[in-house]
Amino acid sequence: MLKIDPSRCSNSQNACFLTELVRDCTFKVERIYDFRGGKRLNVLKNLVGILDKVEKPSRYIGNEYNSVKKRADMRMCMIFPDLYDVGMSHFGVKILYDIINRSNFASCERSYLPWFDMQSAMVENDVPLYSYESYTPINEFDIVGFTLQYEMAYPNVLRAMRLGRIPSKREERDDGDPIIIAGGPCAFNPAPMEKFMDAFLLGDGEEAIIEILKAVKEGVNRKDKLKKLSTINGVYVPDYNFKVEKRLIADMKKEWAPIDQVLPYTEIVHDRGVIEIMRGCTNGCRFCQAGMIYRPVRERSDTEIFELSSEILKSTGYEELGLLSLSSADHSQIKGTVSLLKEFKDTSLSIPSTRANAFTVELARAINTVRKSGITIAPEAGTQRLRDVINKGITEDDIFGAAKLAIENGWKRIKLYFMIGLPTENDEDVQSIGKMVEKIKKMGFFEVAATVGVFVPKAHTPFQFDPQIMPDEAFRRIKLINWARKFAKLNFTDPRKALIEGVLSRGGKEIGNVIEKAEINDLIFADWDERFTPDKWMELFDDEKIDLEKLMGLKDVKTNFPWDFVDSGISKGYLWMEHQKAISGELTADCRNGCTGCGVCPQFGVDNVIQSEILK
Amino acid sequence: MKYIVHYKRYGLLRYLSNHENMRMVERILRRTSVPFKMTEGFHERMKLSFGQALPTGVIDRAGIFLISTDQLLDDEFLRTANALSPAGFEMFEIEKMKDDFNIGQAIAGYTFKLIFLKEPSLQDGWKAEKFGKIWIVSFTNEFNSPSPRPNDFGQFLTLRDRVIFRGLR
Repeated sequence: MLKIDPSRCSNSQNACFLTELVRDCTFKVERIYDFRGGKRLNVLKNLVGILDKVEKPSRYIGNEYNSVKKRADMRMCMIFPDLYDVGMSHFGVKILYDIINRSNFASCERSYLPWFDMQSAMVENDVPLYSYESYTPINEFDIVGFTLQYEMAYPNVLRAMRLGRIPSKREERDDGDPIIIAGGPCAFNPAPMEKFMDAFLLGDGEEAIIEILKAVKEGVNRKDKLKKLSTINGVYVPDYNFKVEKRLIADMKKEWAPIDQVLPYTEIVHDRGVIEIMRGCTNGCRFCQAGMIYRPVRERSDTEIFELSSEILKSTGYEELGLLSLSSADHSQIKGTVSLLKEFKDTSLSIPSTRANAFTVELARAINTVRKSGITIAPEAGTQRLRDVINKGITEDDIFGAAKLAIENGWKRIKLYFMIGLPTENDEDVQSIGKMVEKIKKMGFFEVAATVGVFVPKAHTPFQFDPQIMPDEAFRRIKLINWARKFAKLNFTDPRKALIEGVLSRGGKEIGNVIEKAEINDLIFADWDERFTPDKWMELFDDEKIDLEKLMGLKDVKTNFPWDFVDSGISKGYLWMEHQKAISGELTADCRNGCTGCGVCPQFGVDNVIQSEILK
Repeated sequence: MKYIVHYKRYGLLRYLSNHENMRMVERILRRTSVPFKMTEGFHERMKLSFGQALPTGVIDRAGIFLISTDQLLDDEFLRTANALSPAGFEMFEIEKMKDDFNIGQAIAGYTFKLIFLKEPSLQDGWKAEKFGKIWIVSFTNEFNSPSPRPNDFGQFLTLRDRVIFRGLR
């Protein structure tokens, strides 16, 4: 407790101080944006009373630099169903936020799911979930959009609706409630969340989002709005349309890149300026859902990346710039891009998602900003046979060549990513992970860290037909690698978490009941280790009579999947063919080197946008 | 050239931690495009020193930081920087300092004010002055002695009001 020396007390200057006090203690933002009556004032007034009592209050205050306060006829709130620290790093929200706020008829605000302490305080103090721009309760918006980036966040979505006083089931909502829409990769299997969503946007949102806002604006009532939404390409409205093709933009227009990126006060997961250098991936890794559903590849040119990056850094003041893509080292102009971006003084570059080969190390050396303490490569599997099954496209020589080059260039720590439970995996494949870790350690690294995840087959991939190993088997396989702990720090993701993720990702409409009960039972933030309670999930699966063995089991081309009506552009036949090639260990080449016949380009009348090809 | 900049941090920004405040200031300064001096080393950072850290939740009307640059800075710089700042952060004075100025040695202490919404019951010797519907207690703390935290004394608001320097700067 502070002890105050009474002799230091003074009342002088208090009188003139008062007028300034009123100004400095008042929250100005709410006055400016209180354009719909007094409700915003109440949210903010109550909010101020509780921020002193919660952990990291800065994650709840909004009012960030570059956030947009705009009056508009149509108001949308984008919600990332996780903590602010995670959600603020998500690039998709930045893109749509920017596009909507530059439109002449709509505004976009943001919200996130508060942590438990804040949720309790909000409920106790009658504060509904609110937007971070105008402190408007989310149920006052015309549209509320959720991004579904990972399945474990499904209960979070329902909690956000509960905190926002929006009925979670679509059948319970009426004309006074917002239209609830979801997008993101998980939306490609809409079934588990169908009970709760009015509509899903599948694929690229840059053009579709404006059409969605217009449809909702023009709709005279809820039914009419949903009917209009169902006519938009890429939008699935349950009960209104029964087949949907993903939305695709042929090219990434420069004006779609968000420049004035909102700056968080609190430290977030990826606290840096972001430029998306490429969308889609041509590698054809068979386990990768993003690589399948975001085809084809669309690269930005090196000069455009430079110009946009310059504007982003100027607008934000960020000291780090991240080049975003699914596989940055594959960008045809990556070397030129990096040398252009090195012109930015006092700015470091980060290039995540690179491949496990020597070029990755060369890139890291070229940007010269990766701390020599750590480099990351992802072999994914321990044997070449299994890497061929998953079509990873890298050899043992690539991996050890990259490690050798890394150590020659001063890296002392290396991080490796692997998966167990991949299709056709045998014990030798698993043990080889340990052998690879041992060999890399013996190359002279001070520290080797290996993260080993349990493979979860995803919808719209060639492995959607494959079984997922159950936790008991996963624990057995983990024991086969445990001996390698003397060479590396081994981190295993919890196999029970993988099982739950598998159920949520490949389940059907029946999973909606599980999600609903999970939220009621407080199984939110399930992806956070400290909040993960697998036994409660298993009880829910039992209660709802979910046949886990069947759901996780082997399927074939005749299986009716809950997502069959969603057309990603890649036919089920192609996925089945890729599945069979996987079983026989046959590789499929990178489609930059020739079409592999997946069908996306002809269906949408597009082609890969490869900048080096354009220059030719 | 070394400059000290005086700033206020109020409204919702009182909920920033000291670390968050420092990062926000650095990014505001980077947005001005003024070539401030950087630290040396692998990860260059802006050479930036702050006064005493404040607990989260305290309104700061006496914040200062020290920066170095070869560029001449004046009130125009403040206008530019304030235009690039979020609501609730305001730089209101800039002073050019001698090269040997040291922020830690220059600050003698701070004046704090505690705002109460009802008459506080105070220890002997404390003075609370009533203004309309509020009571204010003012006191000074020596540099680097603990700052009052929100609700330490049942106060409604806590303000760091003034920085006190040692003699002439």
